[in-house]
Amino acid sequence: MQPLALIESRSPQWRRLETLCDELETRRSARKLPVTHRVEFASLYRAACADLALADAYQLPSDSVRYLHQLVGRAHNQLYRTDELGAVGWKEELFERIPRRLYGDNSLRLASLLFWGGFIAAMFLSSKWTPVPEFADAVVGQEALEKYEAMYEESFSSSTYSPEDRIFMAGYYIYHNASIGLRCFVMGLAFGIGGMFAIVFNAVIIGATFGYLSTTDSSQNFFEFVTAHGPFELTAIVLSGAAGMKLGFALVDTGGLSRSESLMSAARQTMPTMFAAVLLFMFAAVIEGFISPSPLPYGIKAAVAMASSLVLMWYLVILGYAQQPDEEEDERLAVE
Amino acid sequence: MNSPLPRLDSRIGISTPENIAFEYRVAGPWTRLPAYLVDLLIRIVAVIVVWLVGMIFFSFVDLAAIGWFLGLLAWFLAQWFYGGLFEAYRNGQTPGKQVFGLRVLRIDGRPVTPIQAILRNLLQMVDMMPMAIIPGFFFGEGDLYFPTFLAALVPMMLTQRHQRLGDLVCGTMVVVEERIPVARLDAVDQEGLAQLMELLPANFQPSRSLARSVSHYMARRRYFGPARRQEIARHVGEALAAKLGMPANINHDLLLSAVYARSFFGSTGELLNTTKKVKGDKGGGVGKREMELIK
Repeated sequence: MQPLALIESRSPQWRRLETLCDELETRRSARKLPVTHRVEFASLYRAACADLALADAYQLPSDSVRYLHQLVGRAHNQLYRTDELGAVGWKEELFERIPRRLYGDNSLRLASLLFWGGFIAAMFLSSKWTPVPEFADAVVGQEALEKYEAMYEESFSSSTYSPEDRIFMAGYYIYHNASIGLRCFVMGLAFGIGGMFAIVFNAVIIGATFGYLSTTDSSQNFFEFVTAHGPFELTAIVLSGAAGMKLGFALVDTGGLSRSESLMSAARQTMPTMFAAVLLFMFAAVIEGFISPSPLPYGIKAAVAMASSLVLMWYLVILGYAQQPDEEEDERLAVE
Repeated sequence: MNSPLPRLDSRIGISTPENIAFEYRVAGPWTRLPAYLVDLLIRIVAVIVVWLVGMIFFSFVDLAAIGWFLGLLAWFLAQWFYGGLFEAYRNGQTPGKQVFGLRVLRIDGRPVTPIQAILRNLLQMVDMMPMAIIPGFFFGEGDLYFPTFLAALVPMMLTQRHQRLGDLVCGTMVVVEERIPVARLDAVDQEGLAQLMELLPANFQPSRSLARSVSHYMARRRYFGPARRQEIARHVGEALAAKLGMPANINHDLLLSAVYARSFFGSTGELLNTTKKVKGDKGGGVGKREMELIK
């Protein structure tokens, strides 16, 4: 058959495939597309693939070959679409896979140990029982400490915070704190190290500030402020740190992959952990905006802290333990 | 096509598991910039709209701060999750990419997974690095921080698929989904073509590679002037004329047209029919894009 006759006879089908692609590319018409058209799409796609494969034997001119390449590429992208994580997918990810992975995650264990160890040590060293009285000054700096002290001079029971301020601050905390968490993670990925450093650094700074403020007159106000959102916020920091640390470890222990490949697979595995951390940052920000600076009695703030700790326990331990660790799932994440 | 040399154009071959091989054009920095700018604009407008609507709506109940809260929340989501969520839910396209016909795929041609889509967009933060600082830019009041985007551009230049850092981490690439109309054979109706075709030996059938080269030439021919056509056609035309025993002073461009007609149209009679057909199509509903291309 002459190429001309071939093109003439095939192009109506190619055009039909193009029209079907157009329809599939817009969401609304894709949903309404009848089954018969979908079946037609599949067979037209196969036919176009066959034409492309035989283009050389048919002696098609270069223009037609180029056309077929783009047509097959377009149809391929409509046939193989991204699996949308539906509502069920998110639920499964959030309540089954993430707790399961976190429960068996060694870098999370190490991160919590480092964070809480550094935190308590720094707090002790800058408290009134300290053997090194100049510790807090040396770590945080005189100026910053005085600023923090001034911040908590006023009691919250006579608080001047209006509801407006609180709403604004909640929004600001979400934006600011969660961004810091994500930035730590991304930096850990981009520069490989940093996760472990970031976690110890944060632990010591926060611990020293806690310890120092406990020795001042502002201590009561300070603890009243931090109690309610503490559990969520600090856990979120530990989670981000653990994710960053896992990236660092992936560079050292590659498990047989090349270093860059190992870093990438670790990044894919830790992504869901980061989602959990971002969610926690958001919860913490809402509490920090609305409950922490409010004139509510300390008992209620403490109850909020206890409730959020229990939720975290349930999430990390009960949900994590109930689910058996799933090697296949990790492997899927590592490969894809 | 199967040249052993590294290719200069930005086409990437894909072999699917079903053993279907086809090519994509990879999008480079300049192709992706307009889409990026459109996305940036959409993000900024969306945040401002959320903020303004929130402010106006909630100021009736004396809680304008909710507008601020919503605005900040929208800013956070737009900054970190805009691209990722769109690419995860719209088959690898953000609105900007959709406008310019770009799509994110895995390097083996499969669609991106939601996790890959979100991770490659989180890494956009690194792309802006390093920041250039011009001290005292704002009349000595403040410093100007200017994103250089070098962290994105350098990997894009160094990789064959123009991948930025986020693409390298996730094993993805951005391709152009071209939409070219069905290529129809160019009607060649030049003066003297029929006479020249008579001169071609009746048993002459161009080889595959010759036919392919000539079709490349014919596809580009309309962009060249007469002198340039002669210059290009001479390379093949001289050898061909010698082989077929034709006079050396023959019009080489016309000779290649004749070879083209012989290999793709068969004979002159068919050729003339097609010419008419193309003209007839112009009145029909074939589509204006094709006509523009023919012109």
